[in-house]
Amino acid sequence: MSSANPTTADQDALLRAGIDRSLRHPVMFFLTSGAAWLAVSIVLGIIASAKVHSPGFLSGCGCFTYGRVFPAHINAFIYGWGFQATFAVIIWLMARLSRKECTAAGLILTAGHVWNFGVLAGLLGILSGNGTGMPWLEFPAFTWPVLLVSYFAILIWSFIQFRVRPEGHVYISQWYLLAAMIWFPWIFITVNTLLHCIPGHPLMAAGINAWYKSALMFLYFTPVALGTAYYLAPKVTGRPVYSYTLAKLGFWSLAIIAPWAGMQKLAGAPIPYFLPYLGAAATVMLFVPAIAAAINLLRTMMASPEILSASPSLRFTSAGIGGLILLGIAAVFLNLPDSTLPMTQFSMSGYGFEILTLYGFFSFVMFGAVYFIVPRVTRREWLSRRLIKMHFLLSIYGIISVAMFALLGGLEQGIGQEDWRQPWEAAATRAYPYALGTTLAWCVILFSNVFFFFHLTLMWLRLGRRSSHPTLLAVTHSHASPHGEEGDIDNAGPGHAPAH
Amino acid sequence: MSPSNHKPDLEESINVSEVHGSVVREAAACAREKRIVDNGIEPVSLWAFVACGIVLLIAGGVLGGGGSLFAYGVTFRPGYVRAPAGGAEDTGPVAKAAMAAYQSKGSKIFSAKCSGCHGADAKGNGSTYPSLAGSAYVNGETERFSMIILNGLQGPVSDGKVYGVMPPQGIGMAPEDLAGIMTYMRNNFGNTKGDVVTMEMAKAAIEISATRKKAGSSCSSEELTADHVKPLPGAALDPGMMLDPITLQPAKAP
Repeated sequence: MSSANPTTADQDALLRAGIDRSLRHPVMFFLTSGAAWLAVSIVLGIIASAKVHSPGFLSGCGCFTYGRVFPAHINAFIYGWGFQATFAVIIWLMARLSRKECTAAGLILTAGHVWNFGVLAGLLGILSGNGTGMPWLEFPAFTWPVLLVSYFAILIWSFIQFRVRPEGHVYISQWYLLAAMIWFPWIFITVNTLLHCIPGHPLMAAGINAWYKSALMFLYFTPVALGTAYYLAPKVTGRPVYSYTLAKLGFWSLAIIAPWAGMQKLAGAPIPYFLPYLGAAATVMLFVPAIAAAINLLRTMMASPEILSASPSLRFTSAGIGGLILLGIAAVFLNLPDSTLPMTQFSMSGYGFEILTLYGFFSFVMFGAVYFIVPRVTRREWLSRRLIKMHFLLSIYGIISVAMFALLGGLEQGIGQEDWRQPWEAAATRAYPYALGTTLAWCVILFSNVFFFFHLTLMWLRLGRRSSHPTLLAVTHSHASPHGEEGDIDNAGPGHAPAH
Repeated sequence: MSPSNHKPDLEESINVSEVHGSVVREAAACAREKRIVDNGIEPVSLWAFVACGIVLLIAGGVLGGGGSLFAYGVTFRPGYVRAPAGGAEDTGPVAKAAMAAYQSKGSKIFSAKCSGCHGADAKGNGSTYPSLAGSAYVNGETERFSMIILNGLQGPVSDGKVYGVMPPQGIGMAPEDLAGIMTYMRNNFGNTKGDVVTMEMAKAAIEISATRKKAGSSCSSEELTADHVKPLPGAALDPGMMLDPITLQPAKAP
């Protein structure tokens, strides 16, 4: 930008501002309603987690039994928060990267309302006892076509934008986002057809369901998060992506390995003998795409340490990449068929691994994107550095605790379950302190999301700061103005302040 | 309008200060953005390759640990009998008192063969299916009771009333099943005989049934009264004696 003609640069900025403006309502709708579902999910998660150590908690009412609250918690997280965050990020990033304004904001917004209606109906279905009992697909069967149709109505425009983009090479983020956009319908249609429309052997249905969980994590949420991180890291630092070769390795290894993972959860079940071993080996190998992307992104971000420490987007994104590294290591150590795998099949550690993926990695990158996108689409800056810091610190403490308590507690629980000479109760006793810790950690995460939701709502209401200076985490005292850098809009021109 | 408007070397179609002003007002965040450069060609460090190599080796080990992956004989073994798990000797099923062991066999037979007509509470329906609770046939002599189960019954029952025809149940019934169902019925639904019909007695009942004069046809109350009003031969069993619940043989002392 610095070398370009200033007028061209200005016009370019106006084009990008126009793209942002065209997407303001759908993006803010998905983010705010996603954040609201996240809060609902966390409250349900606290109730479900409390029932692991205190079974009598809220046991008077049928809709608060563990068998309903736990699926409601995880489904609200995935379809309420996870998918809506990806929608906001995909439609915004694909428009920006294809340099096209969105012309279907009204339709996307309508489809977004339909999606939310589907999620609400599904959750009420679960809580009223009409869940299907299929993990991550507990919504009553009538919801899946609703969700699928609204998915297409929301994202088809990003395909079209990509199709009519200006000539030129396709950026790394676009590989990941396009792949995720295509993979999800494939997974979702396959699984729902095989489970609802032409149900086969129930044992194989359990295997398909286990594959769905893994595929949703590694073929949808992971590529969206990586595509977003590949956008944020070079965009905010202004540095080139560390290694293009490594980016290609990371993408293709994910595309080749991830579809095989998942069925190791049925190790020991009489399904075709090679499937669990293949699933375990593929999950172990997910370390490769994880570490390739993590090295690439961290090296890109660490090329500008001062920006990394000041930018809220990068702080969340780098924490998410840290989660990705942990995820890659956990994938290796939790899937060894002769030692750890039997302990993760029926214990809390499977849940810990999923929460590490969905929150420790995916959600953190999404938070990073939220802190980048929202000031652009609302044309207001974030109100408070402290609110962002509280959100970050409480989230990071919370997620590290949840993941560690559930992973390690799950292993303890698994050891108890494997010892067949002890009564089953012994496994619960072993897991008790860890389950208690998980509940407390979810409370911390709930607290962090109060700050996030409050801040985001103020931004949604356009109550953000009117300023040309970003809200950064680092406090600098280098300027002379008594009003600070965050002065009125006329105080500074473009390009003077560091990006965030 | 600021003075910068008057610079001579700009084309007149673009009003610089206007464009610039609108950027400052509306696109401040966009204007300070940097361009993405993705063509980094830094070398990938060796330790990353080594780490990935180690992980691929582990993954290979996982896959190799499955042995021959398409050998279904490993998971599907015909005639497989569970071997005692390592670390402790297999003590077999936990012994039960004779009364409980016989009754647990009997309750399964009852829900499979009897409750369909006589009801889960064995009260019948008063018109086509008689009640078994308090029935003189059930609580009376064991040989008469066993003949009804094995061969069925036509005509009036113990209360003198005529209900529907009871079909024979003896086909394929093993002695332990017959003993179980008789013990179960004589000690449930308000019946409190307190004795166990043993396997030995049931075996004798099946032999008697095969040597009846009208073998193969249903019993009638006349035949029952004429030939079968006696207890089945065989030694009585202490209801509290500990038995193996599967074989119904006396359990070994633990």
